[in-house]
Amino acid sequence: MGQQYIDTGWFMMLLTLTMVGFILFNISRAHGGKDLYIRRISGLNAIDEAVGRATEMGRPVVMVPGLSDTTVNAKTMQAINIFGYVSRVAARFGNPILVCCYNASTYTVAQEIIRDVYQQEGLGDQFDVDSVRFVSDRQFAFAAGVSGLILREKAAATFFMGEFYAESLILAETANSVGAIQVASSTELTQTPFFIAACDYVLIGDEFYAASAFLTRQPVLVGSLIGQDWCKLAIIGLVLCGATMNTIQQRGTVNEERKDGKVVPLPQPRAMLAKDTLFSHLLKPDLEKKPIIDPPRPQLAKEDMPSSAGGDSK
Amino acid sequence: MNLLAQVDPKTFWNAPNSSAELYVKLSLALLFGIGLAIGLMFAPPQMRKMVIFTVTFVSGLFYVLFWLFPAPINRQPSDAPRGPIEGLSFWISDSQSVVASLTNVISGFLIGLGIYSLLRVHLGKIAKQQKDWFFSAVLVTCLCLMVFFGYADWKQRLDPQNFILADPKNWGFINYGRDLLFDGLLQNMDAGMFSIVAFYIMSAAYRAFRARSVEATILLVTALIVILSLMGVVELMWGGVMDGISKENDGLKALAES
Repeated sequence: MGQQYIDTGWFMMLLTLTMVGFILFNISRAHGGKDLYIRRISGLNAIDEAVGRATEMGRPVVMVPGLSDTTVNAKTMQAINIFGYVSRVAARFGNPILVCCYNASTYTVAQEIIRDVYQQEGLGDQFDVDSVRFVSDRQFAFAAGVSGLILREKAAATFFMGEFYAESLILAETANSVGAIQVASSTELTQTPFFIAACDYVLIGDEFYAASAFLTRQPVLVGSLIGQDWCKLAIIGLVLCGATMNTIQQRGTVNEERKDGKVVPLPQPRAMLAKDTLFSHLLKPDLEKKPIIDPPRPQLAKEDMPSSAGGDSK
Repeated sequence: MNLLAQVDPKTFWNAPNSSAELYVKLSLALLFGIGLAIGLMFAPPQMRKMVIFTVTFVSGLFYVLFWLFPAPINRQPSDAPRGPIEGLSFWISDSQSVVASLTNVISGFLIGLGIYSLLRVHLGKIAKQQKDWFFSAVLVTCLCLMVFFGYADWKQRLDPQNFILADPKNWGFINYGRDLLFDGLLQNMDAGMFSIVAFYIMSAAYRAFRARSVEATILLVTALIVILSLMGVVELMWGGVMDGISKENDGLKALAES
């Protein structure tokens, strides 16, 4: 038990612990009051502008936290967190909002979070429960419903964030047709180009996940974001180092090799292979190691056995 | 009632069918649920948050353990764990199906909440005859019709005697109604919405690919090359040329090697 982890070798364990260390260290730096730099994300800077414009025009701000399966997942939660900030700005301006949800679990979570935002701003009585709506959990029925809402309400600003698929362009183009400012972000790589073509501002890749840290400046979020950036730098460094070393090392020859964890001499030198290189030994240390066979497990008593194993049926 | 009891292998989460243990466990769970709901209703908001955070954390922790804790390898149904760590691993793996069932039960309740949201918004609109109330009336009518015909058709097909319904010749009013609403209307409207994407792609591309600057022109030319490369005629013309060049290179390579 636990052999799965030990088999990856000391280097992978060290790498994993180093990455955890990077994140914890940066969280402690952020807690210590250090002002950690996060670069400007134009899409998020445009939130105030978009909501301000909606207020001037007296039209609502429409938010769509994407399509997710039957449950609320991390992407939807991230989108709802961003919408919490948008709703806060809208609440301060006294601007109406509309949050269109694809599934009922997103609807309940979004409603609670946005109600909380209004209460924190001391405007609990201005929160309209119908401003967060369940539309449909069928992809194109949802697209038709949200498009209809955007057209009828003549939204001045739209925020599409989260998981989007083929309906992304339908929503973005409909919002464009009513002249709405659009800020979008899709976690689906294939939909990002559509949003770039149709929207005013697009959060690309990690910017979507960095948004909460950027908007709230909470030490845990900012610290983990910077820590993850350090992890990415470490991985990029390893990839570059590995490629360079493998290229250089494979030009040479070897006269010994590792077998069952022991170094044995070869009868005659041979060209170095990818498996002989330093990085191969670091990242795949147990390629030629004999597997450890665990002792057989004890058997359950007849009455505790499931019926599929011939136990007493329940 | 037997839903949880069907879990196999036997764990803490299940009990023999129709046994006293099963009913005791179900009653305790029901009492706990009702107590928790009433308690949450009267609890101060700060404490309510604490309970919700704890439940969320424990639920999340279960799946973190499920994905990250070493899973039992080559486990047979009659195997007992070798030690407490493997015991935990067995417990996590056995409990997963029960937790997944709980998630499904919660999702079922949430569908009800979603329908409640829809009806509250749209019935309110119809009652007050607000702007565009007619669309709300269409929505509520369609919802009711779909629920009625869908449920009635499903109920009929559940009966093993009704296997003859597999053949449309034996269909009645209910079956034709469901077919018209689901396959005849909903599926086709879905397909219609999907087809509209083609027009939206055109209008978005028209705005994005206008050669107004150097960058936009590079984008336009790149897009043109990609689009042309996907056209059958161009592939037919240039595919041969590219193959020819590639084969020519192979020949040169072979010559150099010899």
